Amino acid sequence: MEKLKHLMILVLCLGFTFTVLAGCSTDEDAAGNESAGQENEAVEVVTITAQAPSPETTRVDNLVRAAEMLNEELEKEGQNIRVEVETQMFEGSWEDYYRQFMLAFQSGKEPDIYVASHPNTGWLADGGYIQPLDELKESEAYADVYPVLWDAVTYKGHVWGAIQDTEARPVFYNKNILREMGWSEEEIESLPEKVKNGEFTLDDLLRVAEEAVSSGAAKYGILHRPVNGPDFQVMLYNFGGQLYDPEENKIVFDKEAVLKQLSFFHEIAQKNLIPEGLLSMEWSNIHSMVVNGEVLFYFGGIWNIYNWGQDDFHKELGKVDPEWVMENFGMMLYPAAEEGGQPITLSHPFAYFVSSNAEHKDLIVRLLEHVIHPDLQTIHNVETYHLPVTESAAEHPDYKANITLGDIAYMTEYTTFLPNHEGYEPYSNAVFKAIEAVQLGRQTPEEALEALEVQLKNDLRDQLTILE
Amino acid sequence: MEKTQRFSLYLRKWGLPAFMLSPFMILVTVFYFLPVILIVVLSFTSMGSAMRWDFIGFQNYRFLFEDPNLPTILTNTLIYVSFTLGINVLFGLTLALLTTYFIQKESIGLFFRTIWMLPRMSPPVVYVLLWLWFFDPSSYGVLNSIRELMGLPPTMWLVNQPMTAVILANGLIGASFGMIIFSAAIKSIPQDLFKAAKVDGAGHWSIIKDIILPALRWPIMFVTIWQLLSLLTSYEYILLLTNGGPGFDSTVLALYSYHKAFQFFEFGYGAAVSVVLVAVAIVLTVMLWKLFGMQKIERGARID
Repeated sequence: MEKLKHLMILVLCLGFTFTVLAGCSTDEDAAGNESAGQENEAVEVVTITAQAPSPETTRVDNLVRAAEMLNEELEKEGQNIRVEVETQMFEGSWEDYYRQFMLAFQSGKEPDIYVASHPNTGWLADGGYIQPLDELKESEAYADVYPVLWDAVTYKGHVWGAIQDTEARPVFYNKNILREMGWSEEEIESLPEKVKNGEFTLDDLLRVAEEAVSSGAAKYGILHRPVNGPDFQVMLYNFGGQLYDPEENKIVFDKEAVLKQLSFFHEIAQKNLIPEGLLSMEWSNIHSMVVNGEVLFYFGGIWNIYNWGQDDFHKELGKVDPEWVMENFGMMLYPAAEEGGQPITLSHPFAYFVSSNAEHKDLIVRLLEHVIHPDLQTIHNVETYHLPVTESAAEHPDYKANITLGDIAYMTEYTTFLPNHEGYEPYSNAVFKAIEAVQLGRQTPEEALEALEVQLKNDLRDQLTILE
Repeated sequence: MEKTQRFSLYLRKWGLPAFMLSPFMILVTVFYFLPVILIVVLSFTSMGSAMRWDFIGFQNYRFLFEDPNLPTILTNTLIYVSFTLGINVLFGLTLALLTTYFIQKESIGLFFRTIWMLPRMSPPVVYVLLWLWFFDPSSYGVLNSIRELMGLPPTMWLVNQPMTAVILANGLIGASFGMIIFSAAIKSIPQDLFKAAKVDGAGHWSIIKDIILPALRWPIMFVTIWQLLSLLTSYEYILLLTNGGPGFDSTVLALYSYHKAFQFFEFGYGAAVSVVLVAVAIVLTVMLWKLFGMQKIERGARID
């Protein structure tokens, strides 16, 4: 009996020790930031880690290519240092992606270079997660970045990210529906130009959409995204609204413009220009409706062309290629709210952010100077339907040869951005719920505005400025 | 001298049990008590995305009680928990009766019980995708396709009846838990009782009312309390199905806490919501414990 007791204690002790030891072991490889070169003692290899969200692998693959370019340069300079980029892709929701970075940072395991969209600049900078990259603005490699794009990565007077790409959010219009409505080919093809010149306004868009539905040429006049997202704020900007006050670093609740924004989304629902229950639909149904010619105007994104080639959205053709899209659809800016006014679009550029814990900042900056090379940008742009961030990349022959992208590069000049403030997320969420309420007919725009004010005051508290 | 002796005696008596229990005590402390303490402490901070512990006293609680959505969210929580609990228990009971009492052949009963276990075995995302497809507002959705066959226009199920959808999805999946517990309890009732009842000419209703239900008293109470606590803190199916919308129509307290903490990264505020949830759960548990007289459960079985 006594023997059995001892044996049991021994087994328990062994098991316990084993468990504790197993729990204590760490992955040295993952934690290591720097490793010495094995084959050549004299050359130091610096490993830089980079992470991007799926599916666009080109964002980090370009860093690997940039490292090759940098290494050639370092070799020419006779330096005993080489750069190796380790990449990682993240699968999951945006919130998970941000949360993972926060937690990884707390435990010192964050990537050196973190790829994220620009509205994250605020919390990343305020939380001390990233370091400023003001030197990039002075760098020759970044000299021909479209000036407006610097706004997207500027916060509290500093540049915090290396702009990686941008995109266009055009209004797609169905050419066949316009043909059926009696528009001439010339009228159809010149629509983007008319919008650009402010000759075709938002009122015209509503009028044509109504005609399309009443004449039976289209099932729906307008279609917008079914879930919360940046597009809804285009209308706020279009009505002259303000979202952010950089002086005070506060989110702005511009009541007059928000009322117009809510009224627009209310009106399109009241006039039955959009499908009932649009805001509870699945993305796949949105794509099906657009591709199958049920909708005249679709407030979409340039990457949708890529989406339509991935799944069998078309009832007869299945997957459709860019040539088919260009034959059947045109793309234009969001028409100006007033005649002669400025048309508009919104971009949501991505940027490379550098962790505040990252060592070898000099090498990382040099790496970022290479990654903006027109050749590398073009690989990413053509593959994933994004727009270049520099003028030289817009001139790249492969980019210009792309039938879709070449035509819409001008949209970058008309673009706007979301605020880089952390309070934007709760703001946009509250506005989305207000849009939902007016579209479902639960509230009038005025009532929704009132409820929205109460909500925003509670959610944002001292981070909010109200513009009566 | 005597003291040392007493100590060694004490050690001999309690040393081994303490040593044997210590891993579990450590686990319970680390995974049960510490999180609750942390959440309470966190609820007094303004911790946001920068993850700093800045103490702000009771401000989060003040904001919570001034929150314009709180009345809606509390009402939703009440509706969601009570109706889903009703389905969980009553439907679970019905399933158990059907598959153990009415279907006497074990293999067939087992087959049907397994079918009802399937949603529990499938990942929530897959399960909810089926419901989303079922309720889709376009004419491609299952329910709307049926309406279309009857010449009716498509309707927005998840917009018009979000709570019904959430309760149905959660109720059906939760029923399998009650079904398993009740089936096992029904099976443990001695067959003699059924035979004797039949000889006496008792009908089905009388057998259920006078034999089965009294034997199921404790399992029913256990399932009710257990499911109540799980439902109070469950939000994943709501998150996937309606994400609390439209507006706040299907947002419950647990989901609100999740949104605040993990969508807007207001960890302090989210923690305050969680603390309220923990308090509600404790109060309800104590109330039900007293109401059901659960302390008597440890007494001997009523049958055998």
